[in-house]
Amino acid sequence: MGEVPAIRLDRLGKRFRVSQREPGLRAALRALFVRTHVEIDAVCELSFEVPQGQRVGLLGPNGAGKTTTLKMLAGLLHPTSGRAQVLGHEPARRSHELLRSIALVMGQKRQLSWDLPALDTYELNRVVFDVERSVHQLRLTELVELLELGEVVRKPVRTLSLGERMKCELVAALLHGPRVLFLDEPTIGMDVAMQLALRDFVREHNRRTGATVVLTSHYMEDVAALCERILVIDGGRLRFDGSIEALVRRTRPLRRVSVRADALPTDDELRALGQVVEREPPRMALDVAPERVPEAVARLLALPGSHDLAVADAPLEEVMRELFAMRAPEDEAGAEPSSRGSDA
Amino acid sequence: MSTLRHHLAVVAAMARLGMAEAVAYRVSLLIWIVTSIFPLISLVLWRALAEDGPIGDYDQGDFDSYFVAAFLVRQLVASWVVWDLDRSVRNGDLSVLLLRPVSPVLHHVIINVSVLPLRLALAAPIGLAVLLATGGMQVLDDPTLWLLVPPVLALAWLLNFTVQLSVGCLAFWLTKAAPLFDLWLGAFLVLSGYAVPTSLFPAGLSEVARVLPFHAVLGFPVELMVGRLSWSEALVGLGLQAGWLVIIGAVAAVLWRRGLRAYGAFGA
Repeated sequence: MGEVPAIRLDRLGKRFRVSQREPGLRAALRALFVRTHVEIDAVCELSFEVPQGQRVGLLGPNGAGKTTTLKMLAGLLHPTSGRAQVLGHEPARRSHELLRSIALVMGQKRQLSWDLPALDTYELNRVVFDVERSVHQLRLTELVELLELGEVVRKPVRTLSLGERMKCELVAALLHGPRVLFLDEPTIGMDVAMQLALRDFVREHNRRTGATVVLTSHYMEDVAALCERILVIDGGRLRFDGSIEALVRRTRPLRRVSVRADALPTDDELRALGQVVEREPPRMALDVAPERVPEAVARLLALPGSHDLAVADAPLEEVMRELFAMRAPEDEAGAEPSSRGSDA
Repeated sequence: MSTLRHHLAVVAAMARLGMAEAVAYRVSLLIWIVTSIFPLISLVLWRALAEDGPIGDYDQGDFDSYFVAAFLVRQLVASWVVWDLDRSVRNGDLSVLLLRPVSPVLHHVIINVSVLPLRLALAAPIGLAVLLATGGMQVLDDPTLWLLVPPVLALAWLLNFTVQLSVGCLAFWLTKAAPLFDLWLGAFLVLSGYAVPTSLFPAGLSEVARVLPFHAVLGFPVELMVGRLSWSEALVGLGLQAGWLVIIGAVAAVLWRRGLRAYGAFGA
């Protein structure tokens, strides 16, 4: 018998009904009597499966449905249609067995008691999640050491810096040893050093414990550095499922070849090889079809004083911009609110 | 049995956290208590009015006992779940509780109850000082009736809690639900016996007020504690409390269950 998947979504959908009105006093008064609602499909027929132990990144622009998906997986939101399963459980039922096996870290939400030291919340979680004292102590020591928290866990949470607080939140989420870890924008507002530290930690945690990690982030670098698999969601629909390399190749198949040389050829001279996208002598870069890369490399290496030749994929931010810019017409329908006025 | 032990451990751990928070917020708690001395103000007014002779079946000493008891009972049946729930549904903080393998309702019950000892410790000296100033208190002299006091107070607390829970649940659908609780509070101030003992109400109104849930939360426990009720009256009151609790508890349960389906988990 095969292992139950960490996550299985079957045509999952979530529709929100939100009231809407124009700005201004007149509209406010009118809204007292006639309310206009719009229905928004935040998530639409989403289907995918994640085996246990995988690190998956959910990518998408603002309002794409990433966080809504995550909240349905954590049992906070009830789906409007379709089915979600996490470790074989239906999350919306919030069975205690499932809640003991998952954790959700929200970059903008805190679970630690604001005016008490983090240790107080950790102790509460130990009891609530039914973790043996010795196991708890072992994990706590390990996490505090790994995240270099030291005495920070003994100070009232309100006195901590954002980075320290996020680390303490992460400890709180991991102390019960969750088998599936949902991270929603965990690095939001952090400086670069802190982001790197957090990524290293999550990767190491996944390697050591085999926990499944599902991450959403606005920072492409987070996702690229951490996740072996990418799910691109836009307009509530799945647009891509695969590795980051495959995503880049599919969206921007051209490779970017750059070089520095004493004399650069003109755009016309290179037209047969590819398109020049940057020209700042002594450096230039051109986008080249993969099969023509050897030819381009040979040609550029032969330039007088040629050095620093590099072949790379297009920058990830550019790839994503391009991906979201080329929406299919049926996705547009899903992304836009379907306006249906109704009376309150 | 280990499950039972686990549940007890959870209750104890949450109570410890609730008490730790209460101690952290002790000054605001004291201020809240001081601002709820309304019955002690009623005491001064009614005492002055009763100077020339009893009003109804209350003389000056009766008013002293009644209003000090009302002040203390109000402290003992207090909870604030309506404000907590209203805020946490609107800003999404409820999500944190929903991720723990403990019912968020139980969480609120324990956190609210765990503050009661500290609340009483801060309020009792105020009540005592008033009694010393006014010259003592009459209390229930039938020791067997005292047995009813703990369950009556527990039911009064639960009743207040479930009303607050029901109103707080409306936050799942409304932008702000807590102001609706002011409607309950307004009726409570008049009809519970908080400002005037309900037995002093005009005939007709008195009988109606005494079967309403407001009286079950405050007036009834107070009258029991100051020895104004017979066994049969006490049992009727207890039955009314239980009946209201079943009705309001059922409403709260339905609203809570449906509310979770409508919960938007915003703010994250």
